[in-house]
Amino acid sequence: MADAAAAAAVPGDAPAGTTVLDSLGEDITRIVYPVSACMLLVVLLVSLLSSPSSPSPLSASIAAATGGVSGGGDDDIPTALITALTFVVAVTAATFLLALLFYLRCTPCLRAYLGFSALAVLLVLGGQVALLLLSRLRFPLDAVSFALLLPNAAGALALAALAPASVPIALHQAALVAVAVLTAFWFTLLPEWTTWALLVAMAIYDLAAVLLPGGPLRVLLELAIQRNEEIPALVYEARPVDPRHGRNWRLWREGTQPGADLDARSTVEVIGEVLGRNLDANSGNSSSSHDNEADGDVSNSRPRVTLVAAFSSSDSTVAQAGEVSALPEHRVAVAEMSVPLIQPRPQRSGEEAVEDEDGIGLSSSGAIKLGLGDFIFYSVLVGRAAMYDYMTVYACYLAIIAGLGITLLLLAFFRKALPALPVSIALGVVFYVLTRTLLEEFVVQCSTNLLMF
Amino acid sequence: METRVAGVPEDEESGLLPRPSAAGRRPSSRGPRLPHPPATWATVDGPLGLPLEDAEGHARRFFLWGFACLPFLWAINCCYFWPVLRSSAASSPSAFAPIRPYVVRSAIGFTIFSVVLITWATTFIVGGEQLFGPVWNDLVMYNVADKLGITGFMG
Repeated sequence: MADAAAAAAVPGDAPAGTTVLDSLGEDITRIVYPVSACMLLVVLLVSLLSSPSSPSPLSASIAAATGGVSGGGDDDIPTALITALTFVVAVTAATFLLALLFYLRCTPCLRAYLGFSALAVLLVLGGQVALLLLSRLRFPLDAVSFALLLPNAAGALALAALAPASVPIALHQAALVAVAVLTAFWFTLLPEWTTWALLVAMAIYDLAAVLLPGGPLRVLLELAIQRNEEIPALVYEARPVDPRHGRNWRLWREGTQPGADLDARSTVEVIGEVLGRNLDANSGNSSSSHDNEADGDVSNSRPRVTLVAAFSSSDSTVAQAGEVSALPEHRVAVAEMSVPLIQPRPQRSGEEAVEDEDGIGLSSSGAIKLGLGDFIFYSVLVGRAAMYDYMTVYACYLAIIAGLGITLLLLAFFRKALPALPVSIALGVVFYVLTRTLLEEFVVQCSTNLLMF
Repeated sequence: METRVAGVPEDEESGLLPRPSAAGRRPSSRGPRLPHPPATWATVDGPLGLPLEDAEGHARRFFLWGFACLPFLWAINCCYFWPVLRSSAASSPSAFAPIRPYVVRSAIGFTIFSVVLITWATTFIVGGEQLFGPVWNDLVMYNVADKLGITGFMG
């Protein structure tokens, strides 16, 4: 079919004037920028607002709820482990519940839940952070303006986060980053050992849930693949590098040249193809026969597509427009799971639930998708490092970005949906410990002996 | 429309040379390259944004909902349809004509709202206690927050 012919001619098909490297760097940059921006904002908030001398009421009540050891924010390892374990169990249960709801096709439930949690985070946590900032900076804003601006901003950002088709892409991405920043800042208020235990526990949970056959996230992924549906979830999607992947272009092109093949491809797809052309040889023949509008049909799509699964709603509308050729950039992408967080403190249980996602992959337009949960936990790690010193912040930031790069490489190698947390969190924790024990000693000694500053 | 390659006689070479496909009628297209897209994208996202047929309903919905004390929806409307706003009324493409009134009215509404709000906030900040008297302390947000105790749980 024409699709197979286009596929076979891959090396020579790069648009004139740009190479794979140009768009490859751009793709990765467009996912590293928002992650870095999120971390930077959390570090700023933590530096401005944290007062490490006084234990926060949050930690005191956690200690009280878990049969706390000593009064005041004294946290120790058993309490931390218990809290982390409780949290992971709660998240697992919630994910299974979500999988059940998805199985029963209660999509309005899921959407309403997403909307409620996004709005709650922006309104409650956002209001709290704004009030803390106003108090700390002594900025004399009056109550009337505040009462007018806060619900407005929260509503607009929640709308932007949930309905990406109705707002500029930049605003949608900014809203997702805002939700991540607020949640991450809230998490950094936990006591120290609890935070670290939580991070490690979530990394292990992510690894297990996505890769083990019985894991909740994997179940959800397979369900979505089977049904060719999109899981309603909060996922950050980088802007596609090539605007020809946009829905408008496709529709316009449909009108002028029906059945034409698109020669533009996403960069990760090209990497995958270059890496695995031998693997593709066998399965390419079988998939070429499925050139109908089953652009969500995972099992028949080319293997290079399997990096991510997520159906965007725009794809389904294009499918209904009767698109004939199996465009290479259509891929089945399963949106990552939404993992609600339930607060560990019993008296506030059920009040707040935040949607976050785990996992990394490719979207139907070829751009990289990263779950919001990954944003949140990366920022929590860096925020907690900021509470110690800026040296640890730099080390952890570099470690996390390196971990993200490694995860993207693994994505290109393995061509499966992968958890994005484990590698980065492992590197981040290792580098935090190393910096605090070894590097700090070294730098302090050098400075006091005037060797280097 | 010219469909043959310039300088090549059609009858002799028709079977030998690759020909630009007949579907590509624009003069700039050749071979597998796609022709340049139309320059009339209504949204600021260009080819990734809303298609034209959805744009009018969207603009109207945001304009009407903005009246429910949500002026930021007007701002989003203006930002999203920035190309529509920027093109002057005379030279804008006909496709923009149904969208334009809503976007312009949203811009006016948001301008009025922001002017009123900024004036009030600036008066409050600059005037301080001299202008308002003891009421100022009751209206300042950080005092209100302390009084209501809502900054409590975050420490």
